[in-house]
Amino acid sequence: MENIIQVDTLRKEFKSYSSRSGLKGAFRDLFTRNYKVIPAVKDISFTIKKGEMVGYIGENGAGKSTSIKMLTGILTPTSGSVVVNGMNPHKEREKFVRSIGVVFGQRSQLWWDIAVQESFRLLKKVYHVPDHVYESHMNHVIESLDIGPLLDKPVRKLSLGQRMRCELAAALLHNPSLLFLDEPTIGLDVLVKLKIRNFLKEINQKYQTTVLLTTHDLTDIEALCERVIMLDEGQIIYDGRLSKLKSSWGEGKQIEFQFADPKIEKLNLAVLTNDLQTEWTSGNKKNVWVANVVNDEELISEVIARVVAAHKITDIKIHEITTEEIIRNIYEEGVIQ
Amino acid sequence: MSKYVEMIRIRFLMMLAYRTNYYSGILIYSINIGAYYFLWNAIYGEKASIEGMSVLQMTSYVAVAWMARAFYFNNIDREIAQEIKEGKVAVEFIRPYHYLIMKTMQGLGEGLFRLFFFSVPGMVIVALIFPISFSASGITWLFFSTSIVFSFIINTQINLLTGILTFFFFNNDGLIRAKRVIIDLFSGLLLPISFYPGWAQQVMNFLPFQAISYIPSMIFTDGMTGSAVYNALWFQLIWAILLIVPIQFLWIIAKKQLIVQGG
Amino acid sequence: MNYVAIFVQYVSQYIKTRLTYRVDMVIEMMSDLLFQAVNLVFILVVFGHTDFLSGWSREEIIFIYGFFLVPYAIFGAFFNIWDFNERYIVKGEMDRILTRPVHSLFQIILERMELESLFGTFTGIGVMVYAGYQLGLDISWFDPILFILFVVGGVLVYGGIFVLLACISFWSDSRTSIMPMMYNIGNYGRYPVDIYNQVIRFILTWILPFAFVGVYPSAYFLGKEEWYSYAFMTPVIGIVFFTISVFVWNIGVTKYRGAGN
Repeated sequence: MENIIQVDTLRKEFKSYSSRSGLKGAFRDLFTRNYKVIPAVKDISFTIKKGEMVGYIGENGAGKSTSIKMLTGILTPTSGSVVVNGMNPHKEREKFVRSIGVVFGQRSQLWWDIAVQESFRLLKKVYHVPDHVYESHMNHVIESLDIGPLLDKPVRKLSLGQRMRCELAAALLHNPSLLFLDEPTIGLDVLVKLKIRNFLKEINQKYQTTVLLTTHDLTDIEALCERVIMLDEGQIIYDGRLSKLKSSWGEGKQIEFQFADPKIEKLNLAVLTNDLQTEWTSGNKKNVWVANVVNDEELISEVIARVVAAHKITDIKIHEITTEEIIRNIYEEGVIQ
Repeated sequence: MSKYVEMIRIRFLMMLAYRTNYYSGILIYSINIGAYYFLWNAIYGEKASIEGMSVLQMTSYVAVAWMARAFYFNNIDREIAQEIKEGKVAVEFIRPYHYLIMKTMQGLGEGLFRLFFFSVPGMVIVALIFPISFSASGITWLFFSTSIVFSFIINTQINLLTGILTFFFFNNDGLIRAKRVIIDLFSGLLLPISFYPGWAQQVMNFLPFQAISYIPSMIFTDGMTGSAVYNALWFQLIWAILLIVPIQFLWIIAKKQLIVQGG
Repeated sequence: MNYVAIFVQYVSQYIKTRLTYRVDMVIEMMSDLLFQAVNLVFILVVFGHTDFLSGWSREEIIFIYGFFLVPYAIFGAFFNIWDFNERYIVKGEMDRILTRPVHSLFQIILERMELESLFGTFTGIGVMVYAGYQLGLDISWFDPILFILFVVGGVLVYGGIFVLLACISFWSDSRTSIMPMMYNIGNYGRYPVDIYNQVIRFILTWILPFAFVGVYPSAYFLGKEEWYSYAFMTPVIGIVFFTISVFVWNIGVTKYRGAGN
């Protein structure tokens, strides 16, 4: 399959001025200033194939936005190369951006004062979309996103969820083969999120649209992306399948037992499982104990069987470590080897 | 009180941070003064004096009018309008200070910065290039200093008024622009008030604008002496007090409106 | 020709939006008119005290001012970019502009249009007609053509200078208010350049060529033959300046740092 995005040792540095403290310092700054060169993105490389939906994650300041802006042609790289849709985004900007769609969750693409459909009409001219293509494609988009009733309202009168759906429609107006979504679900309620996710899946299947998604909401990524690229301090620390990330990092399970007998001791339990790899920790109540085990069906069943046979229990729960916890762990512990 | 002083200091530091602004500002003010110098020379031609002012006094007038403008000028009307439109004013209301005083202090911080780092060095540069007369009398300097403080107060009051009016108009860019034009013309920045035809001068005596530029510049160039100076300072003082009335009035209505409509 | 279609689309959008805020439109026109009147008042008051300004009469100066208003109005309508730094660089609106397949400067010009300002062309022509009538000027058949050429040249000069100033924001990280201040300097092109000394005359001709928006082209219509060569240079200077500014703009865009984060 062809590579839609090809990034090779991409780097971006910013000059940052530091100001001296106090009045005297500020006065000195008038004449000479100190600056440092700060690399925001440090020589990253990756490729994305047609039809992939990739989650691009990282903490604030990890270099997410900067690299997305280089991929969309907004910023010029300091060094390295970017080829997207077979073009150099910055060099051939005007031609290039015809082939992509961009949604910035915190910045509106639509015109504030005019009705949504007027914005669409303007964008249609800007992107040079022929009438018949527009009709067939956009009717479908408008229907799937359920924004038909919003079209004659000015953007400033829309709620955030309504606006976001319109933004998405606007970004897809020229049916781009590649879609960049930067925090598309920020501040939205669950129903709107679901609607947006389903819609994205649908267009991905229908048009083989490649999607690169940055978000803080990992449930978006779980719902949409098979692959994630994880950034930290300007470097890629993980690039691979989400499921692999989960199996190698979210290996453990927690079995939480609530016992009928409040006087139960850790020792009673440890004896039961002394030949199995289990670690017991106390739960949030006196009669609650948690068995930490590796993710193995046999083992889990065995632990439960032995405990249930020996003691009366009132409740049992099995927890899996969430993606969010996994990612938090990764950031705390550093680079994945 | 100390929070307002801190506000002045912060603005002062902010101004220092924008150094492109600083250098270009000095350059542009000098070009402005230079151009007016030549324009006035051409207007005077062979004449020794017009309306009792010599060419030398006139060029000094222009120079000091522009340099004083650097002190009293600020954009708080625009800032207030911006903050109202973006809905930030509602937040300002819950802060433990008076919004208008705070804005005034920001303006003062800006003004003081320009006075020390801009007007004073700028005036030295201008005096080196163009012939300008400085008064030798200490008392003139004292009157001048008092007078530009009033310039600042009155100009700021007018800015506050224009800013607050944003509450009542959807978009008051036009009004802000009109105000600026009126101040340039009627404050005496472009033309000394004494150059206007008699009837126009009569009208302007009932307006506060000449207190902003004409009075301090005339005092500086010794174009106004003796009791005229006292009268002029009284004129400034009275206007500074009078203008508090409409500001308070509009502010109270604006606040009510804000509470009712929720910004 | 797509650009023409986009232009038409933007203009029609603009008119629709403006018609919803009619009061603002009227206030804006009034303040424009006021602004134009102020300068006229200045000229009239000054000529209350003198008959000639370096050999130029009151009506001639008024004529220059009338001419100046025409390119200035068109400039004001399409180059409303004095807050470019604030709006597009600091707030990062440039990001959005750069994700669209139209030249970035063209988009900004379209977004910031202020068509009300075009009303000033009528004021300007009115002032010129009045002054021209007082002076008893003759009009030949090719004068209107030259007038259009000179006006276009003037607009390009003005536009070029302000685009160049806007470009500073691509390099300098700090907020600047150079552009609002520059409006004052533009005014000096409205007076005969012979009143200024060599340095300022040089600046107004070659560095910040505001003289080509007022006095030079007007000198042609006023029959001041010593300035004819400058007058005919107006369109050339306009094209040169504007081309340079677009060139610098294109370089500037590659230096854009993006907002915040």
